[in-house]
Amino acid sequence: MKKRLASAAMAAMAVLIVLSVARAARIGDRAPDFTATDSNGKTQKLSDYQGKFVVLEWTNRGCPYTLKQYNSGNMQRLQHEWTSKGVVWLTVISSAPGKQGYATAPEENSYLKQVSATPTAVLLDPDGTLGHLYDAKTTPHMFIINPQGVLIYNGAIDDKPTTDVADVNGAKNYVSQALDEAMSGKPVSIATSRPYGCSVKYPN
Amino acid sequence: MGFAACAILLAVPVGIAQSAPPSHAKVELIADEVAPSATTTWVGLLFHLDPGWHIYWQNAGDSGTPPKVDWRLPAAYRAGAIRWPQPVRLGGGSVIDYGYEDQVLLMAPIERAANSLAAAAVPIAVDVKYLVCREVCIPGKAHLTLSLPATGGDPPAQAPQWHAIFQNTRAQLPTPAPAGWKISAASEKRYFVLSVQPETPVKSATFFPLESGQIENSGPQTFTSTKNGFYLMIPESDQLVKPIGTLRGLLVLGPGRAYEIAPHVLQASRIIQNGSELRRQQ
Repeated sequence: MKKRLASAAMAAMAVLIVLSVARAARIGDRAPDFTATDSNGKTQKLSDYQGKFVVLEWTNRGCPYTLKQYNSGNMQRLQHEWTSKGVVWLTVISSAPGKQGYATAPEENSYLKQVSATPTAVLLDPDGTLGHLYDAKTTPHMFIINPQGVLIYNGAIDDKPTTDVADVNGAKNYVSQALDEAMSGKPVSIATSRPYGCSVKYPN
Repeated sequence: MGFAACAILLAVPVGIAQSAPPSHAKVELIADEVAPSATTTWVGLLFHLDPGWHIYWQNAGDSGTPPKVDWRLPAAYRAGAIRWPQPVRLGGGSVIDYGYEDQVLLMAPIERAANSLAAAAVPIAVDVKYLVCREVCIPGKAHLTLSLPATGGDPPAQAPQWHAIFQNTRAQLPTPAPAGWKISAASEKRYFVLSVQPETPVKSATFFPLESGQIENSGPQTFTSTKNGFYLMIPESDQLVKPIGTLRGLLVLGPGRAYEIAPHVLQASRIIQNGSELRRQQ
């Protein structure tokens, strides 16, 4: 056993001389600030929303996991419910031009009308800058930032990693749970989960 | 698995499996040869994937989802766990998945209760839901059936091919790491350091985690040779908020060389205490 400890220790020390990889924000860290353009051409800056809860929702309208949330009306319900309670809900499209889910500003605005979605804004991120800043992996992938600007949730939308619309009912929605808890001053009981879905369609 | 080595064709499954509609993945339910007295029959879902398309390992990685398999079996029969073959890394950039391309067999044992009599024919059915992806993802599902005869019957034309597929898959299945290997893991500065002393020299290694949210799937895994083996530095996931006790996964040294490992993870604070002497020597 001693030998094992020694070899692990020596190996671990080697870590110190290796350059660290770029890291996205972790739970409890300050969420990285960003500036992005929304589908109405308006500049959206995270730090402008200091004092409010902010939800980031990565989306791709062609992805079956995203469609499960929109075809069931669940995502629209969540957007409506939480924005009415003062939460800022920013939907993000990080699909590159030519890839699934990419949308121009007018295309996105007509889509929002078509599916009755009412996020605070949709951020257009065709070069993937914002996606990489948060290391968004999937659609959907959800993040919550508290009024102090700290990341308090990073993960899936709920606990049913399927594409079946029928699974929306009865799923535990991690975003609602985290917001409920945080708004009543409790710690977020589930702060991370595996974000399930399609890969974000970043530029090659 | 002893029956599998049986060279004599004693009984073979009959019946043609039904396949799902085309969706870049075709899936068949197939069975291996089985001795009449055996209480275990190996069956499997054989996926044929269009070029560039893939399905997922039990830990899908950053995106995607593994196939979901629900067996429908007669009373006195139960299905064991799927034996997942060695996966490959898929995708690129900041999103890395684990899965299979081209063709893969997901095999599982069907066990008959020892105190039950073998039926003349055993109808087995399975509902499988899967996600098949290339640049985009398409969900698929299939209801497949197969009748397993207890004894006799003319061999269907596919049977020898099926047996070969089972044999090839078995040869590639991950195995427990050899008992003589010394394996340890430590967590420091947001990296897992996996230290391995195998019995023979190793030139490269890749770790595939069984659990999601532990390692940064897209992060570089740095291989370094040491006097007695090697260590592998694996960046921890940004999602990992609590220390983990055990790092479970596959250590893959090459095709057909995938080993199941589950080393206890030493935390940095403990290493510094235990390794203080080593540090002073440096």
